[in-house]
Amino acid sequence: MRIISGILACVFLALVSLPVVGLVTDLSNRRIEIRYSFDGAELILFGAVGSSAVDPVNDKFDIVVVVRGPEVETVVRRKEKVGIIWINNDELVFPSAPGYYAVAASRKLADIAHPTVFASYGIGFDNLPLIARTDRGLVEPNAEFRAALYRLRAQDDLYRQERDSVTLVAEGLFRTDVFLPANVPVGQFQVETFVFQEGSLKARNRILLSVDKEGFERAAYDFAHEYPFLYGLLAVVVALGAGWFAGVVGKK
Amino acid sequence: MPLYLPIAEISMDIFLVIGMGAIVGFLSGMFGVGGGFLMTPLLIFVGVPPAVAVATESNEITAASVSGALAHWRRQGIDFKMGTVLIAGGSIGSFFGAQVFTYLKSLGQVDLMISLAYVVFLGSVGGLMFWESVRAILRQRRGYRAPRLSREERHKAWIHALPFKMRFRKSKLYISALLPFFIGMFVGVLAAIMGVGGGFVMVPAMIYLLGMPTNVVVGTSLFQIIFVTALTTIFHSVNTQTVDIFLAILLLFGAVVGAQFGARAGLKLKGEYLRVLLAGMVLIVCMKMGYDLAVEPTELYSVAAVAADGAGH
Repeated sequence: MRIISGILACVFLALVSLPVVGLVTDLSNRRIEIRYSFDGAELILFGAVGSSAVDPVNDKFDIVVVVRGPEVETVVRRKEKVGIIWINNDELVFPSAPGYYAVAASRKLADIAHPTVFASYGIGFDNLPLIARTDRGLVEPNAEFRAALYRLRAQDDLYRQERDSVTLVAEGLFRTDVFLPANVPVGQFQVETFVFQEGSLKARNRILLSVDKEGFERAAYDFAHEYPFLYGLLAVVVALGAGWFAGVVGKK
Repeated sequence: MPLYLPIAEISMDIFLVIGMGAIVGFLSGMFGVGGGFLMTPLLIFVGVPPAVAVATESNEITAASVSGALAHWRRQGIDFKMGTVLIAGGSIGSFFGAQVFTYLKSLGQVDLMISLAYVVFLGSVGGLMFWESVRAILRQRRGYRAPRLSREERHKAWIHALPFKMRFRKSKLYISALLPFFIGMFVGVLAAIMGVGGGFVMVPAMIYLLGMPTNVVVGTSLFQIIFVTALTTIFHSVNTQTVDIFLAILLLFGAVVGAQFGARAGLKLKGEYLRVLLAGMVLIVCMKMGYDLAVEPTELYSVAAVAADGAGH
């Protein structure tokens, strides 16, 4: 009973807080294939807002798009000086941190809504519910390590915030580019789109994007991980053959 | 032209990879060394994960050593019996080296171990080689010739006191098999943790410790390196899945071409001068690794995904 009433309460709350706004989005490509020539990908997310609650022709609105990659256990290490050299001497394990996280918006986030609004929907890196695993159990992560995670991933173009913008075309139509760098992790991605108006959320929707190695790349990766001994043997045979070939050709 | 490497999980420019292979191949052809000690740091420097660099370089060295060993075999330059003893030791060394490598990788300390190994071994070998070749050049200028010692004099007494003596006809030696066995084992450990063939340690050890005639030293060491790096490749494949065949093949392609030109360039220089240059190069790599360890890094933090198996599927 409690579950059902809980669900009902949620549905009711959702109906009250989120006026039904027709929001549709789609990606230029829902399935990214990593092949030999993969050097990152650039997708177009396009969508339309159309409903009575938000009159796209007359009312101003804002769009925030959050792309979130697969969650993986991630370790951040810190170097410290031990004797005369710098070595990894401290580490913090995040049992699940997104391998990719991008926020694109039609304006600066600060102009769209109050930070507490973004916090309540978990939009933005600072609002991600990250936890750390330590000897004392799951704890709030050390701020420096958390900042380092963001900084390092941002350097690799894997965390992107306030860098990509959403273009409002006209008549409720909007678009944004989603950049996936070459080192993007494989797995399921969630693409969430939020419609804001006058600082409050009006609509949201979510679509999925999958990134996977394909064809030869997939086969090579699977072979190396599922039959590591045979893979090693193959690597050796290939090397012996190539070396022999080079030796014979080099002699002539 | 970018090429996605499925095991290293990075995208690299194909011409950069072949170019690196060619440059290292040129130098290794010129100096008659394997070049692993140059290629592995270079790969790490351009952004290949250190564990992948080490394991992949083992695979490339196997190929490079086959072509080298073939040439020496045609000239009867391999002592197979000595080689077999060296391989027996090398297999055990490589196995333990790969275990240590896997353990340290899980602790996040494998990069440190690779750097330390480079600093220690390149520093000592490069320093000795530099000193020896500078002395040779100076002596030559003065017209001094070191008196040639007989093999009995060159061998230390403790070497003859070791048990399990064996006769190596090709090397014209009657010594304990333990000595080459342990040399092979030591080289096997280095092969597994540094991504090198280990010729830079094995060749001097064969000449100065074993007293092998120089005409069989290089061929026999290459013969050992083929098998030990092949085993190392398999150990790393099984333990850490860090061998990237495609990267190895591209590097090899560049190296084969570069080595042809390097060998010709090497013929134009005198042996002592080649050795001084080689020693200088070894010391530069060593100092670069040492410098990176000793100077405060601009970024103290590093990030890594754990359990790459789960992440990849």
